[in-house]
Amino acid sequence: MSSTQEKPEELDRIQKRVNKILEARLESDKDTLDALSGLSTFFTENTLQNRRNLRSQIEHRSVGINENFLKAFRQVKLSLDAVCEDLDTMATSVETMKSDLETSKALTKDLIKQTNTMQRERDRLEVHKQIAQAFLARFQLSGAEHQLLYGAAKDAPIVADFFRVLDRVQSIHADCRLLMQCGYQTAAIDIMEEMTLHQEGALERLYRWTQNHCRSLENNEIGPLIVEAMSRLQDRPVLFKYVIDEYAIARRAVLVRQFIEALTEGGPGGNPKPIELHAHDPKRYIGDMFAWLHQSIPTEKENLSLLFKKCDKQDISDQLQNALGYIADGVCHPLKVRVETILQAEKDTIVLFTISNLLRFYQQIMRQVVQGGSLEECLVELQKSSEQIYLGALAAQVRSVLQRPSGGSGLALEPPQRDLVPPPSVARLLNMLKEILSVATMVDGRQADITKIVSCVIDPLLQSVQESAAHLPTVDMGVYLLNCLHHMQSSLAVYEYMDERVERLQAQSDAQLDTLTSEQASSLVANLNLGPIYAILQSNQSKIETNLLKIFMSKMDAFLELPDVLLLPQVQLIMSSSHRAAVQKRSFNVIVAIYKQIYERVHDPANGFEQPEQLLHRTPEQVAHILTST
Amino acid sequence: MSKVRSVVNKLHERIDYFIEKCPNMTAAPYNYNYIFKYIIIGDMGVGKSCLLHQFTEKKFMANCPHTIGVEFGTRIIEVDDKKIKLQIWDTAGQERFRAVTRSYYRGAAGALMVYDITRRSTYNHLSSWLTDTRNLTNPSTVIFLIGNKSDLESTREVTYEEAKEFADENGLMFLEASAMTGQNVEEAFLETARKIYQNIQEGRLDLNASESGVQHRPSQPSRTSLSSEATGAKDQCSC
Repeated sequence: MSSTQEKPEELDRIQKRVNKILEARLESDKDTLDALSGLSTFFTENTLQNRRNLRSQIEHRSVGINENFLKAFRQVKLSLDAVCEDLDTMATSVETMKSDLETSKALTKDLIKQTNTMQRERDRLEVHKQIAQAFLARFQLSGAEHQLLYGAAKDAPIVADFFRVLDRVQSIHADCRLLMQCGYQTAAIDIMEEMTLHQEGALERLYRWTQNHCRSLENNEIGPLIVEAMSRLQDRPVLFKYVIDEYAIARRAVLVRQFIEALTEGGPGGNPKPIELHAHDPKRYIGDMFAWLHQSIPTEKENLSLLFKKCDKQDISDQLQNALGYIADGVCHPLKVRVETILQAEKDTIVLFTISNLLRFYQQIMRQVVQGGSLEECLVELQKSSEQIYLGALAAQVRSVLQRPSGGSGLALEPPQRDLVPPPSVARLLNMLKEILSVATMVDGRQADITKIVSCVIDPLLQSVQESAAHLPTVDMGVYLLNCLHHMQSSLAVYEYMDERVERLQAQSDAQLDTLTSEQASSLVANLNLGPIYAILQSNQSKIETNLLKIFMSKMDAFLELPDVLLLPQVQLIMSSSHRAAVQKRSFNVIVAIYKQIYERVHDPANGFEQPEQLLHRTPEQVAHILTST
Repeated sequence: MSKVRSVVNKLHERIDYFIEKCPNMTAAPYNYNYIFKYIIIGDMGVGKSCLLHQFTEKKFMANCPHTIGVEFGTRIIEVDDKKIKLQIWDTAGQERFRAVTRSYYRGAAGALMVYDITRRSTYNHLSSWLTDTRNLTNPSTVIFLIGNKSDLESTREVTYEEAKEFADENGLMFLEASAMTGQNVEEAFLETARKIYQNIQEGRLDLNASESGVQHRPSQPSRTSLSSEATGAKDQCSC
């Protein structure tokens, strides 16, 4: 304190320090507070003694604390020493290990090298494997495909994928050629062989399936699979044919059943009515049966074309025709039995002829639809037998008309009557013929039919007429035959195809006309007393007795007055006026010719007739004029 | 190795080509759903064969020869999105074939009865043709009356009104047509088919019957199409 007063500077300094102390905030100085609190533990009493001992006491304490430090650090040192020791051990271990490692490394070097090589090898092989797999995928069938091709079970149905696999087999087979060109002959040949086997196996299976399917084909459901299957099978003609055979057998049975149903049951609820309901009307019955067949066949044909829709590799139209023929054959038997029953039971010639026509019509129609096969044969046979039957029936009918009512054997007509007109049987038979010929025919070949029918009627008729005329006198016979022939000729002339027959009848008529003419002429010669004069003319004698000429001329004058008087009475019975006129004219012409000869002879001055104008006062021209103008 | 790869690639191309060429397996084998059987009848020379020819070939056949017995034509038409194959039996008009042609009425789904508007006699014979048709066919057979040669207006002998009255009295469908110009020919055949189809939809025709004149050919996805048919039926009924 004193110093503060002594020197201002000093004071100043002290003041500063005091200020500093004052300014020092002891409460906030932690160190000081700690020191003070530490001090408070042992400096309990502010005594001198205590103040004097304070220093030593603090030092003493400080030594104590340092000793504690030392103790603690010794321990730490000891621990560190242990650690250090451990580290040393580790170092040695590591050293050992390192050397061991060096050794191993030296030892494994080869192994690693080997591993690396193998790894590279493995990579390479992996690539190979991929290629091989790709190759197999292209050239072999997968398990699934294999199963598709051969079927999981024995009777597994064919599915659409089957054809895909089959195509693949085929394409693999085709691809093998390319493989071969690339130089892989062995593999290519092996694969080709395998694929061929697959193909055969698959087609065999396809064949069995298709055949089975066709066998159970009821409603004609031809699915796309069947169509496809047929297109595949066409490469195997034998299998293809077997399938078609099977199909045809199945359809044939169906067609027969449907035919029988149509015959016996008709449509649903009997509408349309069963065909057999019309069995009493043979024309209708047989017509219905054939119409049914004719209408069923286009459907069968269409189904067959559908079956062959994708078969384009060869011409299958023959096979189609054969199959169609076979399908249609089935109905032959039921058809034939029915038609034959009708033919045998029917007696009416006209109905029989109509049926025969109908059969011929359908024979021609069916031939256009189904060629070959037994249906055609059956129709031909039926047609032939129907023809025989109707011709037989016709012949029998003709015979019964021509039979003598007394029941005698042989063909004979009623004996000719005095009027020499044809007997009623002739008219009956001609009428019958007319009825038959008026039956509508629907087919070509009518000419042959008609010719046959006409012969069947006319030939025996002619024969009978001639037989019954045989015992008549010549003129009567001529007139009678002429009348019969004329009747036949005029009946037949209105029909077609009769030219030849009419011509033959005409020739026979002409023969009779000749006979009659000569008979008439002879009769005229006799009546005019021309006989002796004609004999002189023939013998070239120049002299004719005037008396004979006078008698002749007077008869001639009478004759020229009424020429008809000298006609034979039978000639008047000739029914045809033209025939009558012909006989008259031709016989008169004979007289005219003879008269002309006599006239020339008489008027020849060399023969020395006196007054020839008075002997024969008519010129031949006048005579001819009178006789021919009547 | 690259050689093998190029070979494999080439094969890929080829195989793809094959697969492309491989035909489509799913196509149905039938190109139609139904077959309808028709018969054409009428006097000689009314133009039955010409109508058929016009319908199937879309051409007029001048100097058409007389039909011998029966002839046959087909055409596929469409009704209600259904393909229908018409199987048409053209009969001879000549009297001498009557015995044969009568057998063809059996099981016809449609009968086209034809007369010639320029020849009254052919119209006068209609009632006998109609009797035949009614006697020989099903009650469900659709009968369509056609007055042919409508192009020959100047020589007409039968009026439209008269024939229409006859058709109405007898419950026939009726149109005047011309096989020469083709007018109304399509319509007559198609209208008949529509009517038959309607009968099927309404259950008046039993398809399972062997001689109904109609055959059904279900196209491949048959189950699904059945429902659409049923709805189609409803549509048909309303008209």
